[in-house]
This record gives sequence, C-alpha cells and structure tokens, in this order.
Amino acid sequence: MATLLELEKSGDIFRLDPHLDPGQQEYRLFYTSATLKKWIEDDLPKLGSDRNIEELPNQQFDSLVEVYASGDTLTFGWTFKPLTNIGAGVWEFKTADLRIFGWFHKKDCFVGAFSDEKWRIQQHSLYRGYAGQTVHFCNTLALDQPKFIDGVDPNDVVSNYAYP
Amino acid sequence: MTSFRITLTPNKRAAGRFIALVRRALQRALAEEKQKEGLTQSEIACKIGVHRSVVNRQLRGNEDMTLGRIAELAWAMNRKAIIQLVEQAQDRGVNRIEKIETVITNSSAKLSLDKERVSNSALENV
Repeated sequence: MATLLELEKSGDIFRLDPHLDPGQQEYRLFYTSATLKKWIEDDLPKLGSDRNIEELPNQQFDSLVEVYASGDTLTFGWTFKPLTNIGAGVWEFKTADLRIFGWFHKKDCFVGAFSDEKWRIQQHSLYRGYAGQTVHFCNTLALDQPKFIDGVDPNDVVSNYAYP
Repeated sequence: MTSFRITLTPNKRAAGRFIALVRRALQRALAEEKQKEGLTQSEIACKIGVHRSVVNRQLRGNEDMTLGRIAELAWAMNRKAIIQLVEQAQDRGVNRIEKIETVITNSSAKLSLDKERVSNSALENV
C-alpha cells in the first residue's frame, strides 16, 4: 500500500497542476489516473462545445480546476451543483459540457479516474459504466486505506463548498 | 514527481477563466439576494423580459451572455456590473510579491528555495 505521493512517484497517478495565478495558493489537490491524463492531453483539446457556447470544454475544465484548486467557494445557493455524489464513494464534477468521475482520498484531495462529454454519457447511458470503472480503478490502485472518505454531501469532501 | 497541465494558450486560459469569473459573480449575487430578499430566477426573468429558462441556462453557463445581458442581470439583482482592468502580476508560483522582491535583492539562491517551498506547501498534508 502507498500514499498518493508514492503513487505519483511510481507513475500510477499524476498530479494536475492547476496553473494558478500569482497570489493564489493551491489549497485543494487534483490527481488523475493515466487514462484521464491521456484524455486531458489527447482528446480534450479537440472537443467543441455541444451547446455551441463560447467557453470550450478545455476552458471549462481549466476554470473548474482553477476554482477547485484555489480553494474558492465552489457553489452559491442550492441551485448550482458543480459536484455531486453518485454512490459508492464516487463523485462527479460537472461543467456545461463535461463530466469528471473520481473519488476523494482525503478532504480536498480528488483523484479523477475518467472524464467524458455530457451528451455522450447521457445518450449512451454511460453513468453506471463510468461509476463502476471508477470503483474498479480505486480498488486496483495500491492506495493506503481508507481509499476514499465517506459522505454524500459535497461539504463532507470539500472545504468551503458552501450552501446559503 | 510528475505533474502536468491542461493544454491551453494563455489567451484562451484567460478568456475561459474570465467567463467563469463573471458567471460565478452572478451566481453569488443571486444567492445573496435570494437569501436577503427572496429573489427568484423567475422574478429576474420577468424584470428583464425573458423566459426563466433563459436566465437559468445563462447562469449555469449553458448559454452565452452578452455584455448587455450581464448588466441586465446585475440590474435585476439590485447590483451594478463594473469592470476593472488590472496589470497582470508576472511571478507565477509565488504568493507574496513583496517578499520575493526583497529576496531577489538579497539572494537569488534563497529565491529559488522560497519558490519551491510555496509551490510544494499544498502537498505537505497528503
């Protein structure tokens, strides 16, 4: 069994550098699987917005990671939900066009396993598949126990998530 | 240790982050006015003469907003939208510019240590 840092050193997971501005501190960490890293590097730059909005998927992913990593409040009120629990310790980050699946090893420490376009996930009913693959990846990763923290409210896994 | 970044040109990164910043400012204002005055998206839509679904899509980021719409939404939430263009700070990966400036004057070796310590501080609790 190993810590996240040891798994990063061995190349089993990768740390996503949020590219914060001067004056911003990295309060929350974002790790990725090799699969998600490859998707971010190879597929994400080619994606267009299914909604034809100005903000392209790679910009959506970048701004989500910036807000998350900088420790800023993730939501305001109950209306907007950028992070939802989908069971079995799996969480989903949302942008207009993307869904990112993973788990929280510790509070404010996310391990992303897979990501895809929202329309593809909905059209092909891929939610359960991605959730299952995320659980499988978590189970096979030689990560220290407990591998994920419990909770169904985003405030359980992220500090400063906030509601009213 | 290996880390990687999302591939984005600096101009596209700045654009995406600004769009998100504006949307989040509107979401924050709505949450505050809802708590204070009970303001709803329907009331905002009524004030600016559009369907509630338009306001919802725009606040969620599922539909683009014009500059005019940003001002309208702000007005409907008893706010005034202002824009400020500030000079960009150049030293990425450091947090206290005044400290770094002092260190630059005193010792370039110490500067690199301080930079490393600041950028790694988030990893200490993992």
